[in-house]
Amino acid sequence: MNTSFSNRVSALTTNVWVRVVFGVVVAAVLVVAPLISSKFVNYQLGLIAVFAVAILGLNIVMGYAGQVSLGQSAFLGLGAYIAAYFVTADLPIPDELKLPVSLLLCAIIPAAVGLVVALAAARLRGLALAMVTIALPIIGIPLAKRFREFTGGSQGTTVSWLRAPDWAEGILENDQWRYYVVVVIAVIMFVLARNLVRGRMGRAFRIVKENEAVAVAMGISPYRYKVMAFTIASMFGGVAGFMYLGIVQYTSPETLSFHTSINMVAAMVIGGSASILGTIFGAIYFVLVPNLANEINPSLTALFSGAILLAVLFLVPGGIVSLPRRISQVVRRLARRRGGAAPQNPSDQAPVTAGPESTEKNKGKRQGQ
Amino acid sequence: MAYFIQLVIEGLATGSIYGALALAIVLVNRATGLINFAQGGMAVLSTFVAYALFQAGAPLPLAILGAVIFAFILGAAIERVIVRPFERGDPDTAVVVTIGLFVLIGGVAAFFFGYEPRQFPSFFGTTSIDLGGVFVSLRSLGTIVVLAVVVVLLQLLFRGTKLGLAMRAVADNPQSAALSGLPVSRLLMIGWGLASVLGVIAGVLVAPQLFVSPGMLDFVLVYALAAAILGGLDSPLGAVVAAWFIGVIENLAGAYIDVIGNDLKIAVPFLVMIIILIVRPQGLFGRKVVVRV
Amino acid sequence: MTLLELEDVTASYGHAQVLHGISFRVDDNDAFGILGANGAGKTTTLRAISGMVTTGGRITFDGTDITGFRPDKVASLGIAHVPEGRGTLGDLSVRDNLRVGAYQRKDRKGVAEDIELCLDLFPNLRERIGSNASALSGGEQQMLAISRAIMARPRLILLDEASLGLAPSTAQNVYRAIKRLRSEQGVAMVVVEQNAMLAFSVVDHAIVLETGATSLRGSRDELLGMDEVRRAYLGG
Repeated sequence: MNTSFSNRVSALTTNVWVRVVFGVVVAAVLVVAPLISSKFVNYQLGLIAVFAVAILGLNIVMGYAGQVSLGQSAFLGLGAYIAAYFVTADLPIPDELKLPVSLLLCAIIPAAVGLVVALAAARLRGLALAMVTIALPIIGIPLAKRFREFTGGSQGTTVSWLRAPDWAEGILENDQWRYYVVVVIAVIMFVLARNLVRGRMGRAFRIVKENEAVAVAMGISPYRYKVMAFTIASMFGGVAGFMYLGIVQYTSPETLSFHTSINMVAAMVIGGSASILGTIFGAIYFVLVPNLANEINPSLTALFSGAILLAVLFLVPGGIVSLPRRISQVVRRLARRRGGAAPQNPSDQAPVTAGPESTEKNKGKRQGQ
Repeated sequence: MAYFIQLVIEGLATGSIYGALALAIVLVNRATGLINFAQGGMAVLSTFVAYALFQAGAPLPLAILGAVIFAFILGAAIERVIVRPFERGDPDTAVVVTIGLFVLIGGVAAFFFGYEPRQFPSFFGTTSIDLGGVFVSLRSLGTIVVLAVVVVLLQLLFRGTKLGLAMRAVADNPQSAALSGLPVSRLLMIGWGLASVLGVIAGVLVAPQLFVSPGMLDFVLVYALAAAILGGLDSPLGAVVAAWFIGVIENLAGAYIDVIGNDLKIAVPFLVMIIILIVRPQGLFGRKVVVRV
Repeated sequence: MTLLELEDVTASYGHAQVLHGISFRVDDNDAFGILGANGAGKTTTLRAISGMVTTGGRITFDGTDITGFRPDKVASLGIAHVPEGRGTLGDLSVRDNLRVGAYQRKDRKGVAEDIELCLDLFPNLRERIGSNASALSGGEQQMLAISRAIMARPRLILLDEASLGLAPSTAQNVYRAIKRLRSEQGVAMVVVEQNAMLAFSVVDHAIVLETGATSLRGSRDELLGMDEVRRAYLGG
């Protein structure tokens, strides 16, 4: 029957051995894939890793901590610019250290910016915070165009970077090397995120999202955790920017585009918000679907994306990752409707919802006896 | 001095555009408790309808009228079909729904009209008049007047008519309003229809300057949101005042503060908004929010 | 003449069934009480009549089957529901609240007369006619809510827990006004009350609910004569 099916599935997914085998298979696929795929496929896979990290950051602040952020692209762009600067500028840093140092700064500087923004904005009600996040790409783009010496102005900066190191000569091509670097970083970020979300901080985020008053009563400061969530998200965005430059080898003010932010939010919801696995689905959606749509008919891309997002919100609000659960839910409801007679509902979908009277819950209690 | 007045008037004109859209946002928020990120997109689609009617040979006033009717129906339909299930629920989910709508409607506009910016005639013509050394375009003056008239009409509607009373009642407590026999569903649809009409007014007023394209009101939307929030989301008058304020300081800062210049002047309203919100989180005219556990 | 009849009415919030077959009849000009403790299902019964919850069974009003009708449709048929918590429209003025109550009416003169009637019945409201409803005290809001119902010139008023959250003297004032309303206007009422004494000052007969079902029923005198009622509500 239906319940035993979902029971069997969840039994499978929690079994330790199943997970280990699954993990090994995934790892093997990740390692082998670039060796057998074309440059184009590797590029797409790398891009998926990039946006997986960016959307992961977004998920942490929006999915888990419940703060709408429409400015993640700004941090992505910032990270890309920092990495680009490291490549093109003549800095007194030994070559071997350049990569790790720039990666570190791509994490730290955007995090610092995010921290400052959050410190100011986290006290505002949810929507005002969203407004501030919108301001980031909007102010960021003209700033990027202005500071030409650092950013290359409107033209952007092209780099030739992350070439396969000498010892890999002959074994790995540039695109394969880039893929590996980016995927390794992605894996590290995902492990970090997973530990964060499962730990105390993740729990605190969830409580803050659920009900701030309850959080305060429990001694959790919503302000503090919102700031933390936003800073972490910015850090992830910056690291994703580093990865972005590695794969795309180019960045420009367009990288910070407001539309990218919106599409990332859409992708996050479609993949599954507040879910690590959902983030990966979201990244796959983000990279593949607009491309596919563009192949078919460019003017349909936006139409498709909007329609898909709305369809997900209506039918599968938990995102792709919740699809199995949702299907079994729907199947169960259909079975029940066929089985028993449903009580008469208020005709027409009334726009007002009657909530349960709080006193009715005390069915067994009696006063005055 | 003349230059200063010119800047102020131009600022008020752009501010009026932001104000019209901001009014729509506040109206929708009061009626259904959510922020509609698609307000600009809906306005653009409706403006395209005006464009299409005009291209088909209709005189401009008729084309605009057609667009207004379309906008009303569009707003009402969207509320009933797409937004209704998400009202009074988690506001963040509602925000994402309107974002999805924003993308979808932009896609619809692009599908039918493409991304090429289209020319749109100015309702007020292109002449400028000389007011004692100050040159102002008729269009700018007309825009400001239109918004002022709209504000007055809205006040009359809400304070003086039965419909306005009903809409205020539904915005306050829809469940209770239904118990007095108010047709809540119909009133919510009318609210959204009205907001959509305000949006197309903004669209038609700014189209001659920005050229009609799917993304025409993207920036205006952001300003309108800023104005709505700055004004305190439940105050229509506050939204308009804030919008005028934003329009004016943006213009003045861009002209008088050299380091800002034309490209960075968009940063100014945001910085001001952020500072004001930090000092006064409920916005300039909003009420203090009491969070009930 | 039977005005309202409930036959075996059930009600649920989602999957939780809260009413298990309630039946009673209210005639024209009748005042009917629904008594019982917290959580017995009294408010839910009124909500079922107004179509605010998932309802089963049959509810007939003036010959029409209104089971499951939307709240605004029920109101348009002549039933005015004063909800638990009063439902005052806080952002609107007292006058506007009254005007909302009269929303379905077209006779402007009659509406103006009825506003006078309400202000006469509840003099406190007259002083506050221009204030926002949210600025009123609990008792005044209750009076406003009842006035709003009166403004509709209804055939039947559903009154939910009118004494809730009010000081005893204020509650008595409210019920005194209700009594006056009954004798002057003769409108039928269903009165839900935890405070049986207040209810008995107004109603002619009543049922007592217990966990969603009827445990006792009878005329006012019959009920007052019952030991259980005396023990539960009148302190022996």
